[in-house]
Amino acid sequence: MTSRERVLTAMRRRQPDRPPFDLSFGFSTAQLETFRARTGAEDPYDYFEVDTRMVWPGPTRLATDFSGYLGPLPPGTVVDEWGLAHVPTSSAEGDHAHLVGYRHPMLHLESTAEAAAYPLPDLDASYRYEPVRAEIEDIHRRNLAAMAMLECTVFERAWYLRGMERLLLDFTDGNAFATTLLDRITERRIGQAQHYVRCGADVVAYGDDVGTQRGMLMSVRMWRTWLKPRLARTIAAAREVRRDVLVFYHSDGEVSAIIPDLIEIGVDILNPIQPECMDPVALKRAYGDRLSFWGTIGTQSTFPFGSQDDVRREVRSRIETVGAGGGLFLAPTHVIEPEVPFENIVAFVEAVKGEGR
Amino acid sequence: MNAESPESLIAVLRQAVIDGQAAAAASATERALAAGLPPRTLVDEALIPAMDEAGRLFECGEFFVPELLVAARALKASQALVTPLLAGSPTASAGRIAIGTVKGDMHDIGKNLVVALLQGGGFEVIDLGADVPPERFVAAVADDGADIVGLSALLTTTMLQMKSTVQALEQAGVRGAAKVIVGGAPVTQRFADEIGADGYADNAAAAVLLARRLMSRPA
Repeated sequence: MTSRERVLTAMRRRQPDRPPFDLSFGFSTAQLETFRARTGAEDPYDYFEVDTRMVWPGPTRLATDFSGYLGPLPPGTVVDEWGLAHVPTSSAEGDHAHLVGYRHPMLHLESTAEAAAYPLPDLDASYRYEPVRAEIEDIHRRNLAAMAMLECTVFERAWYLRGMERLLLDFTDGNAFATTLLDRITERRIGQAQHYVRCGADVVAYGDDVGTQRGMLMSVRMWRTWLKPRLARTIAAAREVRRDVLVFYHSDGEVSAIIPDLIEIGVDILNPIQPECMDPVALKRAYGDRLSFWGTIGTQSTFPFGSQDDVRREVRSRIETVGAGGGLFLAPTHVIEPEVPFENIVAFVEAVKGEGR
Repeated sequence: MNAESPESLIAVLRQAVIDGQAAAAASATERALAAGLPPRTLVDEALIPAMDEAGRLFECGEFFVPELLVAARALKASQALVTPLLAGSPTASAGRIAIGTVKGDMHDIGKNLVVALLQGGGFEVIDLGADVPPERFVAAVADDGADIVGLSALLTTTMLQMKSTVQALEQAGVRGAAKVIVGGAPVTQRFADEIGADGYADNAAAAVLLARRLMSRPA
């Protein structure tokens, strides 16, 4: 089987030669340095022969000035195209997403008119998908599966702009500010999703973290009011372009409470299934005929603190249980952080590949 | 029914805070003070029980983060009227807690919830913010007299800073002067034991109960 066939087969819940795998959303800065020093190679995805490659939109031609929204910023701050300021911390990890501070550009806005006027990026502009089309063609020429990234789809992007506490208060108050902001982001995401599918993406990777270690961040009722309809629209928009595009949804934490709703609005694949708070085997039993599972190897437990044998055991156990009949894509449950022993990454990849039948 | 009896004013205020109704909480506070209820009574019989109840509802899965945030907002609306009147009166602080997200980690939503419930629960909270170096925690004990140090982390990477912070307290000779409590997504009781922390809580409401338990024990 080629990598692409393996991904499509497994995620459509048919039995592949072995489960496909990837290395989640990349390596932390320190981990990438270790990788390069140990292997002499540049790209972990190529070196380990990962089954997928991720794509993002090409660079924007806009040069929006957000200084009026952000005010003075500390040295080393990077402002992204949404106007979110990434402020450096005492960590040596630089701009690694998990270890950077945020300055929220919409935190102090009050009126709905301001929410309507805030300059959003041109993520729905065709020119930004010319490079994506070429990248996906190249990925397919190499018989790999193309995963188009739509992370932080609506909720996370909205709270990055507004501040999480402020946005959750907006939800509770039911104000028009939140409606306007979410609707505007959703429109951009619809354009982005449709461009991705037209470019030939095999998987569109949606994501909004709505789980904590113990359960939902907000009530299911609040999620259904504010987020589910908008996520549903972005998924339906992708499916309008091509019915069989695979829909991947990421949320950290324990999100069992919304799995039936996610299936209802067209999610095919749930990621990352953190084994520290969700039981992959129980989920397979409950939803395995309708949902595929991507992830399941814990980056809060086995990857940083387990032995190589622990990693191999966890991989084999997942293949026997969650992998039965397809529906399993093995991956670390998140970014491989600096404290993960390099040998555990090697053990993970070898265990996945060694299980071919 | 006498809607404005002292008992009913207390009950209305308590419920307004639990429900996150800031305007109703402020109004009930004004009416209670106008009726001559002592500010300390409002704190002890309405505000602290209200935030305890919000925490309990959070712990049992009936409340989520937004419900706690609006309860804390309603609490603040009442406190803005009550706290100035408490000045000069003997303090009844449940204890002084210095709390922060450890060095390198900017995640503060969980920590902020713990702060809100601790403040609601009558603790005096020194909120050190996020990305807090060990020496700031040391200073909070040595200079500010914190009884408890609360450490938060979201990542396994930064969780390891908790150990460095405990060691810094030891090296500075102030470890015995304060209890150390830890929490955050990847943190476990086992990890807390390994680094020599005095306690671990897996949610914000449990952190308040833990802090109370530690304060009731002799140092």
